[in-house]
Amino acid sequence: MDEYQTAEETTFVVDEITTIIKETVESTIGNSSYQHNRINQWTSSIVESSLSQLTKLGKPFKYIVTCIIMQKNGAGLHTASSCFWDNTTDGSCTLRWENKTMYCIVSVLGLAI
Amino acid sequence: MSDLAKEKAARLLKKRASVSSLGSHDVRAKETIGKTKDSISTVSYIDEPGHHDDIPRPTVLMENSYQLTPARCFPVVTVKSILKDVLISYLQEEKYEAELCRQMTKTISEVVKARVKDLMIPRYKIIVVISIGQIRDQNMRMGSRCLWDAAHDTFSSHTFKNSSLFAVANVYAVYFE
Repeated sequence: MDEYQTAEETTFVVDEITTIIKETVESTIGNSSYQHNRINQWTSSIVESSLSQLTKLGKPFKYIVTCIIMQKNGAGLHTASSCFWDNTTDGSCTLRWENKTMYCIVSVLGLAI
Repeated sequence: MSDLAKEKAARLLKKRASVSSLGSHDVRAKETIGKTKDSISTVSYIDEPGHHDDIPRPTVLMENSYQLTPARCFPVVTVKSILKDVLISYLQEEKYEAELCRQMTKTISEVVKARVKDLMIPRYKIIVVISIGQIRDQNMRMGSRCLWDAAHDTFSSHTFKNSSLFAVANVYAVYFE
């Protein structure tokens, strides 16, 4: 009666997600320099396209994608996250990407339904 | 959750890994004259991949509760005041220092998580994300988007700023059916 999904489909697979996010970031800002008037559009576009790619995986997960783009200016930034969830099925993955003028940090949290 | 699960969680938290890759083979070199943008990307994850087989994990089978909607809604306003409280009490007089802020982000995220757990909202998974940065004439944009059930899942957010640093706190609450 119940459909039992294989372990493959119900755990958070970091590698797949990393590839997807990296491609998304590189296609959005891969060859650009920091531009103040476009940054709004870039963050939205990175987050939205990552989310739509993640849904295409078809896994029974709820996703939270956050993206931080910061201009390179010598300033420091620290990010930490603390999660109250089920360790066996939920997971997170963070990608730090940089080029000569900016840093981009994208983190994906996946929670099993 | 049971003690066994808590132990597992503690063990998993200790395993952290990160993988860096330098830009050369990752960069799609365009044929523009004289311009190759180098990029570096780093990935970090909670648990090393492929280690799942080492530790035998008995899967926890849960019975159906036949409950689709939460009994109590997540109190967004209460959580926002918790965030405000915590950020102000920990950061009001602080100046940005790399080592201090590194510890501070971890401490603050644990403290906020503990206080939100104390509210005892049943069947909600909680994610707390804290970012602390230095103010130095730079520009920055943070965005987040979530794929979830908009009727029951929600988030709460607060920012704090003083003369040398800024802090952003986000709490996401996801209902577990």
